[in-house]
Amino acid sequence: MSDPNIQGYELKPGFRGMAKDTGSDQTMFKGVHWGKAMMWIFLLSDTFVFSCFLISYMKGRGSTPEEWPNPSEVFALDAFGVPVPLLLIAIMTFVLITSSGTMAIAVKYGYEKNRKMCGWLVLATAIGGLTFVGMQAFEWSKLIHEGVRPWENPFGAPQFGSFFFMITGFHGTHVSIGVIFLFIYAYKVFAGHYDTGKRGWFTSMKGDYVEIEILGLYWHFVDLVWVFIFAFFYLW
Amino acid sequence: MHAGIIFFLVILGSVLFHIFTPWYWTDVASNWGGMDDTITLTFWVGGGVFIAVCLFMIYCVFKFSYKENRKAEYKPEDKKLEKILTVATTLGVAALLAPGLIIWNQYVSVPKNALHIDVMAWQWGWQYRLPGNDGKLGTTSVRNIDDNNPFGINLDDPYGSDDILVMSDKINLKNNRPVKILLRSVDVLHNWYVPQFRAKMDAVPGTVTYYWFEPNKVGEYEVLCAEYCGVGHYAMRGMVEVQEENKYEEWVNEQETFASYVAKQKNIELQEKKLAKK
Amino acid sequence: MSEEFNDNKTIQAQSSEVMTGGAAGATPDMDYVRPAEIPEQDLYHAHSFITKWVFCQDAKVIGVQYFLLATFTGIVGLILSWLMRLQLGFPGLAGFMTAEHYYQFVTMHGMIMVVYFLTALFLGGFGNYLIPLMVGARDMVFPYVNMISFWMFFIAVAVLMASFFVPGGPTGAGWTLYPPQTILEGTPGSGMGILLMLISLSLFVIGFTMGGLNYMITVLQARTRGMTLMRMPLTVWGIFTATVLAMLAFPALLVSAIMMTLDKVLGTSFFMPTILKAGEVLEYGGGSPILFQHLFWFFGHPEVYIVALPAFGIVSDLISVHARKNIFGYRMMVWAIVGIGALSFFVWAHHMYVSGMNPWFGFFFATTTLIIAVPTAMKVYNWILTLWRGNIRINTVMLWCLGFIVTFVNGGITGIFLGNVSVDVPLSDTYFVIAHFHMVMGIAPLMVIMGAVYHWFPLVAGRMLDETLGKWHFWITFLGAYSIYFPMHYLGFIGVPRRYFEMYDSPYMTSAVGMNEFISLAAFIVGAAQFILIFNIIKTLKTGKAAGQNPWKANSLEWYTSTVPPEHGNFGDRLPVVHRWPYDFSVPGAKDDFIPQTTPPSEVVHTEVEKT
Repeated sequence: MSDPNIQGYELKPGFRGMAKDTGSDQTMFKGVHWGKAMMWIFLLSDTFVFSCFLISYMKGRGSTPEEWPNPSEVFALDAFGVPVPLLLIAIMTFVLITSSGTMAIAVKYGYEKNRKMCGWLVLATAIGGLTFVGMQAFEWSKLIHEGVRPWENPFGAPQFGSFFFMITGFHGTHVSIGVIFLFIYAYKVFAGHYDTGKRGWFTSMKGDYVEIEILGLYWHFVDLVWVFIFAFFYLW
Repeated sequence: MHAGIIFFLVILGSVLFHIFTPWYWTDVASNWGGMDDTITLTFWVGGGVFIAVCLFMIYCVFKFSYKENRKAEYKPEDKKLEKILTVATTLGVAALLAPGLIIWNQYVSVPKNALHIDVMAWQWGWQYRLPGNDGKLGTTSVRNIDDNNPFGINLDDPYGSDDILVMSDKINLKNNRPVKILLRSVDVLHNWYVPQFRAKMDAVPGTVTYYWFEPNKVGEYEVLCAEYCGVGHYAMRGMVEVQEENKYEEWVNEQETFASYVAKQKNIELQEKKLAKK
Repeated sequence: MSEEFNDNKTIQAQSSEVMTGGAAGATPDMDYVRPAEIPEQDLYHAHSFITKWVFCQDAKVIGVQYFLLATFTGIVGLILSWLMRLQLGFPGLAGFMTAEHYYQFVTMHGMIMVVYFLTALFLGGFGNYLIPLMVGARDMVFPYVNMISFWMFFIAVAVLMASFFVPGGPTGAGWTLYPPQTILEGTPGSGMGILLMLISLSLFVIGFTMGGLNYMITVLQARTRGMTLMRMPLTVWGIFTATVLAMLAFPALLVSAIMMTLDKVLGTSFFMPTILKAGEVLEYGGGSPILFQHLFWFFGHPEVYIVALPAFGIVSDLISVHARKNIFGYRMMVWAIVGIGALSFFVWAHHMYVSGMNPWFGFFFATTTLIIAVPTAMKVYNWILTLWRGNIRINTVMLWCLGFIVTFVNGGITGIFLGNVSVDVPLSDTYFVIAHFHMVMGIAPLMVIMGAVYHWFPLVAGRMLDETLGKWHFWITFLGAYSIYFPMHYLGFIGVPRRYFEMYDSPYMTSAVGMNEFISLAAFIVGAAQFILIFNIIKTLKTGKAAGQNPWKANSLEWYTSTVPPEHGNFGDRLPVVHRWPYDFSVPGAKDDFIPQTTPPSEVVHTEVEKT
């Protein structure tokens, strides 16, 4: 998005510009949509939620007296009879990162008011997210089938199961909520609500393509969190 | 005007209350007299600031209360005054912090000659274990606890068998001998606290916590639980008796070791089996 | 539906507002304020009773709703405290009082007062009402989300209150909810009670997040023309910073609530070590009870400042207005608020000096804790220096402020005892702690709330509260509360532990019996005195004197609305334009002893006003 044009105010780059914006009246983040600022701050708060989860995980893993299971064995998947470590998870990560890419392009087309392209890309992102959730459901059922439960774990410390199901479950809920909104927004793009500024039926806010960018921020955040969960659970 | 007088009386009352209060701390019976001194220091510095601030406020109430024809001073800030106040406050706070940290350093460094005592807490009671002739406590686990092994001592630990078991809520201590209290709990949080010793620490299930003190006054003291542990919390009391060396040794020799306890239990079991057979 | 919006309203109030004329020496461009960069807010104008007063999107109505519901929970908390004091002062007098009940009352009193009363009242109540008015906005930026925020809070309160009526009653694990005992059988309310508590807290966090986003974005992105951050009233600064703290601290509470719920429901062992209960080893094993304490206090300590910072802000404004003098060292006050807020994230383990955590943490947390004392002391100095050479109206509002200074300084200084690690050792978990935190985050913020009620009631209702009743209310509350908590410190010196159902036989505790009776009597009186305010409000609504516009001669924007009380949209056709900070009182050379924020420089060139 190009720099906004604000009457009577000259935008300056860098630290000096930031200091000047902070000292100015009306807004601190110049030209930033309210909804976008709200999403950034919500994500900051959500970062603390995931940080607390992951720090608890580190502490829990450190203080349990039983041995932690080896991730490359637990998460291995049989491909043509050979156990390949982290196969499924590699595909899941790839799908999720790709969906971030399609989301980014959707935002670009949204600002160009290219209804068709934007809509298809949002839909593609939604389908990517849905695939991720599906694969995660598969992974859960595989672990549950092998006997891992939130309260017990045949491979070692029971906290492994507890933290795995809780944190991936919490992240999966984030993804699922994102997918639902992606489908709704895809419909809204195709229906042209963002071109006409039609009011949403729920909050009665006027439609605008900036909503696609706001949802995009959320989506990228969910992907970023996944990278951390991936690193902490599968690589450590 | 009345307001200022009442506020003044409140401050005066606080000072008088402090001077004439019948409620004040018990005589310290351990080496932690330094904690009392730090409290006293903090009390006088802090109390002085409290009184100074309140008197200044009361003076303002008397002197500058509303008059139609007077105008307040207009002075947004005074850099110099603010700087002086900041520096003075920082110095004051540092002066209070320093003794606190010095004493804490002593608190976390246990003397080498300290006698180790295992304090085991449960809902709602205490029992104690002393090292035997080898001078070391055997390791324990909650899972081992049963009628034959009330402390959950690991049976394959060679240090365990001569441990002295004190299966009562009363423990005796030797005067002027540092003790390291090793706290563990089998269920919830507890805290072995004797007000006269000043020191305390939570007992946390799943881990062993510790603190130390050196009793220096012969006498009997009550142990209180100082961490909320359920409906019986208020009734979770114990006793400590600080004794001179010869009396203490006498007491220790009367106590039972783990090995003899196990033998006795086995004997009882045998007797019971015999009775059952008959 | 579109009739309910001002669809075609364009940006008004362009730069044509530059004033000319006024006093000699005024130049046309000295009043220049740059044009609006935000378009006029798209507001939903409600017509039906339900959308106007129940599911309302107007921040002022939401603020009042928050205020009333928080007051209701506060009265529940007050009644619980009476019951506790009844047991402590006169054990056995109330026949139904078992230890279970006592601990349930203790727990619910603590949680209600800290979270559902003080937090909701300051941020939800005062935040909603004052932020848009004080920064010159028409409403919060997301009115719809704001409405949901209140109703989430409503559900959270309903769930919390429901726990009084479930089998086993509410949780009795202490408001800190320390595991393992919280969810172990034998603890009162370890079944449904604790579950409802955890669900209610999670709902509160979710609801608060919605409100918090609103408060933050409104302050950051929706100020009126000329309203720079450094021209905002300290009330807004206090509430804003507290909101930032809440947005970053509540996640830890949410996470610990989720983990504890899983421990309870699914039998995971996040916080649960191996436990021997009634001769049997439970299924749990390998968890860390200390982890919960870290998470809880990472939320819990900022929570203290979530309550304190709005109180700091509000009291600064009240003192300044009623001393007819600018707040002394405004910039210092702002930086102190921000600094205290930032530091509050690095001090949490001072609640855990004797918790069994690694004792070496004590050095770090004692140091950070005592560093916080410096900005806090600066704030106190600045309040009393604001009184110095002021022109102080000794009215009810000012009395509450003075009461705040006395109780806050008292409680702040006992905080230095408890923050200083080795001094804390003998005092922690005794009545000294109870006395300290009630003085500093119970009574002191309550004094501010009461002062704020007497100050802003004329704005909210358009009528002046009765001064005589107000003074009675103040003196009974202040003297009563002080005589409850000041002597209580000495119980702590003796070593009386907190959370004791009965004190009975210990020698040093029997000497406390007389004091406990006295404290209980004082508590009954202070609690009852609060109903004076309710009577005063009812009486005023019926027969009170009309307030008119700006009865206190204040400068900040909330007093310059188009109508009193302000209607939806706050400022009529045109948003105000701000030219100065809100503290230009008693400026030499000015006609009145106050210059409103909206007065352009050209009208006051003959005065010695400083540029802000």
